[in-house]
Amino acid sequence: MPLFLKILARNLLQGPATEPFPYQEATTPQRLRGRVELNADLCVGCGICRHVCPGGAIRIEPDAERAGYSFSIWHNTCALCASCRHFCPTGAISLSTDWHSAHRQTEKYSHAAHYYVPYLRCADCGAPLRLLPPALAARLYAHSPVDMARIIKLCPNCRQIAAASREGERYGTGGTGK
Amino acid sequence: MAFFPSITVRSPWLYRINAGSCNGCDVELATTAFIPRFDVERLGCKYCGSPRHADIVFITGPLTLRVRDKVLRVWNEIPEPKITIAVGICPISGGVFRGGHSIDGPVDRYIPVDVNVPGCPPRPQAIMEGVLLARDLWLQRLEEGKAGKAEAAYAAIS
Repeated sequence: MPLFLKILARNLLQGPATEPFPYQEATTPQRLRGRVELNADLCVGCGICRHVCPGGAIRIEPDAERAGYSFSIWHNTCALCASCRHFCPTGAISLSTDWHSAHRQTEKYSHAAHYYVPYLRCADCGAPLRLLPPALAARLYAHSPVDMARIIKLCPNCRQIAAASREGERYGTGGTGK
Repeated sequence: MAFFPSITVRSPWLYRINAGSCNGCDVELATTAFIPRFDVERLGCKYCGSPRHADIVFITGPLTLRVRDKVLRVWNEIPEPKITIAVGICPISGGVFRGGHSIDGPVDRYIPVDVNVPGCPPRPQAIMEGVLLARDLWLQRLEEGKAGKAEAAYAAIS
């Protein structure tokens, strides 16, 4: 049998090998590294993502009133390497499977994601305070008898004072009773 | 025979310039067009070997100092109307090479870019979307050119 008949029969059975993409939705692998996204509820503003980003795509800036910080990702310099996701201590950064990145030149600088993360206020002194997510605090205070729920609402200064008064009570050298 | 050009859509020919790319985006471009799985020839596009035949030009790479003048020379050989696509993050913003001692980019410092396809490298499907966007722009520009010529001819006789 001539070879072409074999190929013809196989092609008739298998159908076209071409993806129907522009006319139908393309298949997207579940673990595709697409556009970077931030979950602002988990961001602690440590800046490790900005530090490890090879393209310099991440910008973190406190606002003028010191009420929070803005977190911007410029997708046009993001290499989709997922270093930010790998190093994020709270899992706030994720990569979606959205790969639709083609855009016109007029949208070059607007092809970015902007987030705003407000500071919390210290329960004692009212100083601006970065969020400590309960899951991370649970890891930090896993072997400590300290009341975590109260400590994560305090600023570092008030946390020191609370720790000192706790130790003072323990060793009988006085304490403020906090 | 003037009937056919009026009902058919013109096919853009593609050309590729490597402006100091790491070759990742070039490989991705080759897989987009050259393998039947992501066949761009269905869209009427075809790779060509000479810049003088090209309509849509892909630029990859961050535009290194060494290759800058050659890129500009080749780009200037492409006849108007042409559409320039920056493929990958390097030609768009410099990407991971931005600020390097041998980098003179991004490409839009020297060349008017029309479409950006960021990624490192972008998916073949994303490049296809860029091609579709560029083709629409190119057809639009052709129509504008035709209208402009008609207006000029009208202005000349009246």
